[in-house]
Amino acid sequence: MTDSYYPKSLSEALELRRETGAIPFAGGTDLMVRFRAQAGTLPKLPHPVLFLGHLEELRQISMDSSGTHIGASALLSDIGVSEHVHPMLSETVMLMASPPLRNLATLAGNIGNASPAGDAVCSLIALDASVVLASLSGERTLLLEEFITGPGKTVMKSDEFIREIVVPADQPDRYWYRKVGTRKANALSKLSLSAMATVHEHRVQDFRAAFGAVGPVVIRRRDLEAQVRGMTLDQLSRETEGIVDAYRPHIIPIDDQRSQAVYRLQASLNLLRRWIDLLMQGG
Amino acid sequence: MDSITFRLNGTEVTITSPGTRRLLDVLREDFSMTAAKEGCGEGECGACSVLKDGRVVNSCMVPVGSIQGCEIVTLEGLRESEQGKRIIDAFVQSGSVQCGFCTPGMVMAAASLLAEHPRPSEAEVREGLSGNLCRCTGYDAIVRGVILASREGEGL
Amino acid sequence: MTTGISRSVPRVDAYDKAAGITRYIADIPVAGVCYGKLVRTSISRGTILDIDVPELPEGFWFISEGDIPEGGRNRIHMIKEDWPVFTNSEVRFYGQTIGILVGPDREQLIALADAVRVTYREQEAAFTIEEGLACRGGALHGDDNLFADYCLVKGDPESAFSRAHRVIEDVIETGFQEHVYMEPQGITVEEQDGKIVIHASCQCPFYIRKAVAPSLNRSLDDIIVRQAVTGGGFGGKEHFPDIIASAAAVAVTKVHRPVQVIFDREEDMCYSTKRHPSQVIFKTALDSENRIIGMDIDARINAGAYESCSPVVLQRLIFSSNSVYDIPNVQLRGRAVATSTIPSDAFRGFGAPQGIIAAELHMSHIAREIGMDEVELKRSLMVSKGSRTITNGTIHETVKLHEMWQRIAEVSGWHEKKSRYAPGSGRGMGAAFYLHGGGFTGSGEQDIIKARVRMVKRDDGIVEILLSNVEMGQGLQTTFRKIAAQVLDCDYRDILLADPDTDRVPDSGPTVASRSIMIVGRLVQLAAEQLKHKLHEPGAQESEAAYTQPPGCHWDQETLQGDAYPAYGWGICVIETAVDPDTCEVETLGVWTIHEIGKAIDEAIVHGQVTGGVIQALGYGSLEKLELKDGKFFQHTMADYIIPTTLDFPGVYSELVENPYPYGPFGAKGLGELVFDGAAASYAMAVQHAVDRTVSRIPVTPEYIMELKTHG
Ligand SMILES: Cc1cc2nc3c(=O)[nH]c(=O)nc-3n(C[C@H](O)[C@H](O)[C@H](O)COP(=O)(O)OP(=O)(O)OC[C@H]3O[C@@H](n4cnc5c(N)ncnc54)[C@H](O)[C@@H]3O)c2cc1C
Ligand code: FES
Ligand code: FES
Repeated sequence: MTDSYYPKSLSEALELRRETGAIPFAGGTDLMVRFRAQAGTLPKLPHPVLFLGHLEELRQISMDSSGTHIGASALLSDIGVSEHVHPMLSETVMLMASPPLRNLATLAGNIGNASPAGDAVCSLIALDASVVLASLSGERTLLLEEFITGPGKTVMKSDEFIREIVVPADQPDRYWYRKVGTRKANALSKLSLSAMATVHEHRVQDFRAAFGAVGPVVIRRRDLEAQVRGMTLDQLSRETEGIVDAYRPHIIPIDDQRSQAVYRLQASLNLLRRWIDLLMQGG
Repeated sequence: MDSITFRLNGTEVTITSPGTRRLLDVLREDFSMTAAKEGCGEGECGACSVLKDGRVVNSCMVPVGSIQGCEIVTLEGLRESEQGKRIIDAFVQSGSVQCGFCTPGMVMAAASLLAEHPRPSEAEVREGLSGNLCRCTGYDAIVRGVILASREGEGL
Repeated sequence: MTTGISRSVPRVDAYDKAAGITRYIADIPVAGVCYGKLVRTSISRGTILDIDVPELPEGFWFISEGDIPEGGRNRIHMIKEDWPVFTNSEVRFYGQTIGILVGPDREQLIALADAVRVTYREQEAAFTIEEGLACRGGALHGDDNLFADYCLVKGDPESAFSRAHRVIEDVIETGFQEHVYMEPQGITVEEQDGKIVIHASCQCPFYIRKAVAPSLNRSLDDIIVRQAVTGGGFGGKEHFPDIIASAAAVAVTKVHRPVQVIFDREEDMCYSTKRHPSQVIFKTALDSENRIIGMDIDARINAGAYESCSPVVLQRLIFSSNSVYDIPNVQLRGRAVATSTIPSDAFRGFGAPQGIIAAELHMSHIAREIGMDEVELKRSLMVSKGSRTITNGTIHETVKLHEMWQRIAEVSGWHEKKSRYAPGSGRGMGAAFYLHGGGFTGSGEQDIIKARVRMVKRDDGIVEILLSNVEMGQGLQTTFRKIAAQVLDCDYRDILLADPDTDRVPDSGPTVASRSIMIVGRLVQLAAEQLKHKLHEPGAQESEAAYTQPPGCHWDQETLQGDAYPAYGWGICVIETAVDPDTCEVETLGVWTIHEIGKAIDEAIVHGQVTGGVIQALGYGSLEKLELKDGKFFQHTMADYIIPTTLDFPGVYSELVENPYPYGPFGAKGLGELVFDGAAASYAMAVQHAVDRTVSRIPVTPEYIMELKTHG
């Protein structure tokens, strides 16, 4: 029995996925760590894997009226410099892992891994991105927020994989991405904030905030965002503490090897406050 | 076991191996190419760096079955090229080498960086080497080595 | 332009390393090798009741205490007989060696190791210094858990405290630190002509020989240690290779095949020795004019479960605990506390960083308390030639710290920035002053090490240096050759110097304690001077030099009184930081250093040591957090235990001041550890200034800064 499949085309990949149930394998930078091999041994992968990283059909980055289409196997290093990609996503991607890892790693992998600390996931959720899932029975498109249901959990079926990620063309005017990593490069996030907004004539027309690594999934509260929408900047100024307090119970980090819950909560709220401040300054 | 064909330092090679076996092990064990080292086996240190289709990657993260048809260049290959020689010489001149365990990986990262930015700024060099850890040098001499290599490339 | 010996030359090892030609131990295939995997305890304290080893396939063996050759000791000889090679009853720490599985296939080996079942009777364990002092779960060592308990008195502290107008108290703490040499631990052991040959990535070939021989019940000459190219050590390959080599050597005597043990990174992080955590409690007596009149110091280190070199580390810590200051009246107690953690061991600085961090932070806290500029306070107390040390010895050399300060203050813009950045403004400046005694503490060089260096001119005229100090990145292959070449007036590249082989070289001592250039390099110089006279005589010629204590140095090891070190290196490190108001992340904006190490043998090598040491120390001071959870390290991968990358710190400004030392080669003193001693303290003080809070432990993580800002 083989431990891996190397499809020659997308359709062959979909067939292999259905027939063998082999797990999608893009850059391997999560899988090879999770099932790490010691020198001279094989990775402890529980199932055969389906290599997808090499498929040209999955590596394209393109733009049309609906938005940017990023192939599941497009490399982070290509996404980071692509002119079609929203600058918040480029910034996010260029702060992920390291140059050699970005030459392997993909967005689909970051999404498939479904870690709450997945940096791209955080910004993609703020960008209202969707995933296109393909199988031999056809395709379906889901909002990324709906695709990931818990740490390491997604609604992907055993015959599907992600074909591409779609970032809508229409986005708020402003964004702010802040990653607080364990160090300045090749760092996993202790917490992160992907924030967006449109302010027009002193009124907040759109407001989004997605928090990474401070809960079981990326935290985005559309209900709270709706409350901010429509506020004037004066109201925003008066309500700042109220908004921060409204977010507080939803930011539910843990203590782990990399940081502490109290820090993660405090720093996340401080960043939110700073973001509101930046909006008021209009700069 | 699968039959896997790829190009290694300019020559087409075919091996029979489980597809998930790490490229790092294949290079070191099947080809006795030991310039790429294992410092962590988890993508953190860059000691295992090689070029895959011209770009630096961590060979401990790469299953050999995924590189069919790819061009892999290790330091054994790079050191025969003009660019490789230039980087190695610049490292020697700049005092970039101490214990040397990180150095092969640094040279590979430098090669990838210089291919993309022939005349990098210090900030670009630091960014380009940020996936390669060194515990001895504190990096300054390595950064200088890469900058020197880029200058020599222009005949300076 | 620098001339003479200080002028930089290309390192002899650089090309082969940069071209990937150099072979480290894991790069060298060994015919018929058996890989070895250590089987370890999974509790921290208790008794092993049963070890259930799965049935082993052909070609696999499980080696444990019963396999130690007849008459062999189940104790590894470090400074004295110490850790057991294998435990089959008493468990003192998590990860203690029970046995070693050996066999030809690594995949199977891991599966077999995982299948070994050990049952224990578990006992309550002490992990922290406090728990160790309280003998939690009963004493592990003696009846008080103290491997060492030292007292020092200088002047008349009692009367100073009785006169005190006020007393300022402080507790300074430092954590574990992992070496993270880029090359994990590795050794290969084989039999050759009836002898046991050990190839090791190591710092001290003769230590391994001494450690292994008694457990095999063989003579020292029956054990041959050959140093393999070593990918970094930093103290982590001082004693720890003894542990692996002993187990593997026992296995070889049983299976009669080569045995190779190469650690996986995670294994290395979980089970290798670490830097001693420390806790230093100060009480400082001030008179009515806020002058320091006395100090009471209570220093404790977490030594772990076996003694290892903890007493010596503790000595260096307490001898450094007044740093560069001449404090008039001092009483000090220092204790090395036994706990059920992996024995702590050598790490660059060997206790001095902990002592200096404590002293520097405490001095800065006093300055904050009395409203004085911290550098002014420190400069008013600085030692000078003739000053009395904490061990009532004498500073024999001219101390250039004041002129060094002038210089570093200028290049770092200290005065202007210090006045511009209001305390708590988010921007901060820190300055640490430090010293490091070269060579072994006290009379160690003279009484214990007794270094010897031999030099030969072969028949063919080629000169070879024979000594036991290893190249591990610090440049000895080049600097030793340069010293000899300078004397013999030849090209350094024409001199031979092989990686040491205990069968060929005299014992010039271990590669530790910043001693290689100052002590051993001096012997190279002396041996070369002798050989020079015979160079033109026909046939093979030989010379040898042996260590003698510099005149005027006195030391009493019983009372720890006298000149703890014959000479010191001196340094200042200035750091500028900015603290993010929202996340407390710290941006280091500048790092400026100035060092006095007598004379540089090669400036590029010296600056390389400075930069490497400073960045490693900045990691220690800021990022490198290693916590114990139930006796195990919580951070055990490189993703969790974070060391600096290219982007974490800016370039390091490094300047040198000369002050030739008459008993070092061409005036050189120790260097390798000095450059580690100050940066962490400087960083902590820069953050302290930026946030206007009292920083009293390292690493100074954003989490800790947030805590300080929230709770004061
Ligand atoms: C040293 C290091 C540093 C890192 N730093 C960061 C960081 O800063 N930020 C960050 O977010 N992550 C980081 N990571 C994690 C990792 O690099 C990213 O999550 C990366 O995006 C994963 O992509 P990949 O292609 O390598 O994933 P893979 O390992 O190939 O796959 C990951 C998961 O996604 C699934 N998957 C892959 N492709 C598909 C597909 N087409 N459809 C459905 N499922 C799929 C796989 O089955 C698997 O479950 C780091 C990892 C390492 C080793
Ligand atoms: S060994 Fe591959 S990154 Fe460390
Ligand atoms: S030179 Fe030793 S790790 Fe870089």
